Amino acid sequence: MSLSRRDFIKNTAALTAASYIGMSLPFVAGEASATDVASWHRGTCRLCGTGCRVQLGINSKGTPVAMRGEPKSRTNFGYLCMKGMMFYKIMNHPDRLKMPLYREKKTDKFREISWDKALDIAAQKFAESKQKYGPNSTAYYGSGQCLTEETYLFQKIMRAALQTNNVEGNPRLCMASAVGGYLTSFGADEPIGGYANIEKSSCMFLIGSNMAEAHPVIFRRVMRHKMNNKDKVKIINADPRISATSRIADMHMQFKPGTDLAMLNAMAYTIIDEKLHDEQFIQDYAVFRQGKKVQVDMDTYWQSLQDYTPEKAAAICGGNITAQMIREAARMFAKSDGTMTFWCMGINQRKRGVWANNLIHNLHILTGQLCKEGADSFSLTGQPNACGGVREGGGLCHILPGHRLVAKEKLRNQVEDAWGIPRGRIAPKPGAHTIKMFQQVNSADIKAIWINCTSPAQSLPNVDLYRKGMAREDVFIVTSDIFPTKTTELSNLVLPTAFHFEKTGVYGCTERRSQITPRAVVSPGEARPETWIATEWCARMAKYLNDPVVLQTVKPFLGKEMYVEQPEAIWDEYTQKLTKHRDNDLRGATYKVLKQMADGVQWPAATESYALTGGTVMKFVKGSDPMATSESKDDKPFQFYGPAHADRKLWVWVRPQAGADEEPDAEWPMYLSTGRIIDHWHTTSMTGRIPELMRANPYSFVEINPKDALKHGIKPNDMVEISSRRGKVTMPAKVMEGPIEGMVFAYWHDMHEDRMINKVVKDSFDPGSKEPEFKICACRIKRVSGPKALKPFVV
Amino acid sequence: MPIGGFVVVLDLSVSDEVLKQFSQFPQIDVHGVNEEGSAVVVIDTETSDEMEQLTRQLQKIDGVLSLGVTYFHAEDEIEKIESGEIKPSFSFGRKGEKSENCS
Repeated sequence: MSLSRRDFIKNTAALTAASYIGMSLPFVAGEASATDVASWHRGTCRLCGTGCRVQLGINSKGTPVAMRGEPKSRTNFGYLCMKGMMFYKIMNHPDRLKMPLYREKKTDKFREISWDKALDIAAQKFAESKQKYGPNSTAYYGSGQCLTEETYLFQKIMRAALQTNNVEGNPRLCMASAVGGYLTSFGADEPIGGYANIEKSSCMFLIGSNMAEAHPVIFRRVMRHKMNNKDKVKIINADPRISATSRIADMHMQFKPGTDLAMLNAMAYTIIDEKLHDEQFIQDYAVFRQGKKVQVDMDTYWQSLQDYTPEKAAAICGGNITAQMIREAARMFAKSDGTMTFWCMGINQRKRGVWANNLIHNLHILTGQLCKEGADSFSLTGQPNACGGVREGGGLCHILPGHRLVAKEKLRNQVEDAWGIPRGRIAPKPGAHTIKMFQQVNSADIKAIWINCTSPAQSLPNVDLYRKGMAREDVFIVTSDIFPTKTTELSNLVLPTAFHFEKTGVYGCTERRSQITPRAVVSPGEARPETWIATEWCARMAKYLNDPVVLQTVKPFLGKEMYVEQPEAIWDEYTQKLTKHRDNDLRGATYKVLKQMADGVQWPAATESYALTGGTVMKFVKGSDPMATSESKDDKPFQFYGPAHADRKLWVWVRPQAGADEEPDAEWPMYLSTGRIIDHWHTTSMTGRIPELMRANPYSFVEINPKDALKHGIKPNDMVEISSRRGKVTMPAKVMEGPIEGMVFAYWHDMHEDRMINKVVKDSFDPGSKEPEFKICACRIKRVSGPKALKPFVV
Repeated sequence: MPIGGFVVVLDLSVSDEVLKQFSQFPQIDVHGVNEEGSAVVVIDTETSDEMEQLTRQLQKIDGVLSLGVTYFHAEDEIEKIESGEIKPSFSFGRKGEKSENCS
């Protein structure tokens, strides 16, 4: 590289950074940017749910060589985290899967086979399973990282061609409770507002979220807002663990795991007791509910809160919680000009995750902290397309595309008509949710399962139990992915897929925002887009099943060019036919529009001209949301037209305190919780292959409170065994004022058999959302040895 | 030889001292600091590993509130890895590795 070229690149780096803070530098932008890469390609980061927009730099040979943030994006304004900045480095990694691999028996070695052969085997196995054992002997398990086009197409094939609702995905493990909470409290899934509220808020309530590590770019916005308004903006952080997020908080509420419902009810108690509630808002827009069909009055609700006076709740919550602290938090929440709550897995991954969601929404409804600038009840999402693909595109066993329920015949008929298949073709009963699905793999009731872009052999709770089922020779497993994983090790057929920027498609991030990533790079070897794989698979199944409806399922997409035309045809079918007049109306967000937009479109957006404005920033508000006007039933400014509440009201729920499914006892005396660490993503199949990220966090640690460490004779970096009724692991100790006394916290990313914490975690789940309680179970710890040199590990 | 562009947020009350510390690193160019304490910083290192270590070192300096990466270019490093000129020092525990923690 010549000196002048290097200087140009350095100038470009400086100009890019300077542009984000409005600083002028004495360089000529054109000269610099013209020489650093051959071309820049806009897309979305794929390593969390924030929806950061990026630009991938490609050199003249077509190799990705640079990354920068998209400064015009309203999600990240050009900022990225190190994970996001470096993910392109895995695109040419030597471990990429490049050819289909097959073995008849799981004890055999894989051998490379052709696509033709691979698709034939997959088609034959699924067709045979349906014919011999019935439709529900087949299943699909997808991912919140699949493009919307992929999730939509796979679920269509499962429901229309194979006639099963056994359609699930890993979002069941992370945000199903948030879906349940939004539907039961607001009557509609997904947040009312978006990130734009951050800079307008006066109080931020962060509960069950380590945003600083799991969503660093959103955290940067929160931190910047706090720093610019130190006295005006108050931040409350509520979590049994002090994390990197806590450092910006005015108040940290550290409660005993599983007591959050009591604490939230006590905040509601204070709000009503001190008359901080918004009577007019409640009168206009809210009702009180004790059950789905049981409406109560406000007095009954108030009576239910008598068990949660701040004094009583403080006694339940333990930790540093005092009655005064609860009152202070409630006052900050209620009195601010705009309060925004953020939560994530700490709330969702609970035995009563839906209830916990309801109780957060209760606070917003009672105080009228909704539908105005700076106010929002906002569930953070962990994956880039859990919202867009899975929640909106029909990627779970009980929902069809466009926020439709499987159980409603009228809604099934709408989908059948849109697909041009006979009414009655879609099975009337929801399929098996994730834990049930893998229980049915264990019992071999499911004989053929397609696992796409995820690794349940590492990510399921109580994972050893389910790996036994996946290892059965009478269960045929297809896995499509970009790298070998713990799940490919249990598969019969492994299909190499195109990675991000190697195919075209849409991600829908946490704030109802759909953004396109067009193809910019050629895939290695014979890796192919999942939409092509699924289309060809289904077409071959038509032959084995001798059923014209099977072919009809993919006929609109067959034979189309696989990188742009095929995904566009799928996106058009989904948006134009299945989101029409639904609350997630995306008809205006065509590929043409999405390619023009730096940061996509927030739904509802029914027309292209409206979508080109960016779409709907605040749902339900006349003047902001066109559907609030078109669906208006009265002259009030807010219209809660979501599909789940026929009364168009917000529901304040009576919900009691409920602890974890498995509380500590004499034999298993400690709480175990798990979570993410900055720089790593899920099972590390990707971030574990980026040396800079792996070096920073090469293996899992367990965080232990100094008082517990002292009790157990554990010193920093000692090897510690964590065991439960289900299994045990051993990892180094981090002794720190993080977890509350009596609780340990382990990072869950590590692939090494000795450190895979999901062997220990319990697989109990929320009876409403079916989301497992990853965040709490009972365990014990013991020192095994002093520090040991460990090697990082990926399969 | 990667090049990174960063916005580094500084505590304004100690920003002069922080910038003095930055100046001790030859890999770092500071292009200016705005009124809110955000500095435009370019880091030029021999390897990505060195970049990663240096950024973590900077984040530990008192007065550095956050370090946001906005641009990353690693073209010639990737070319050298592809050609075999550079072999990343980092190695994975690969397939077949036996349990190392538990007896």
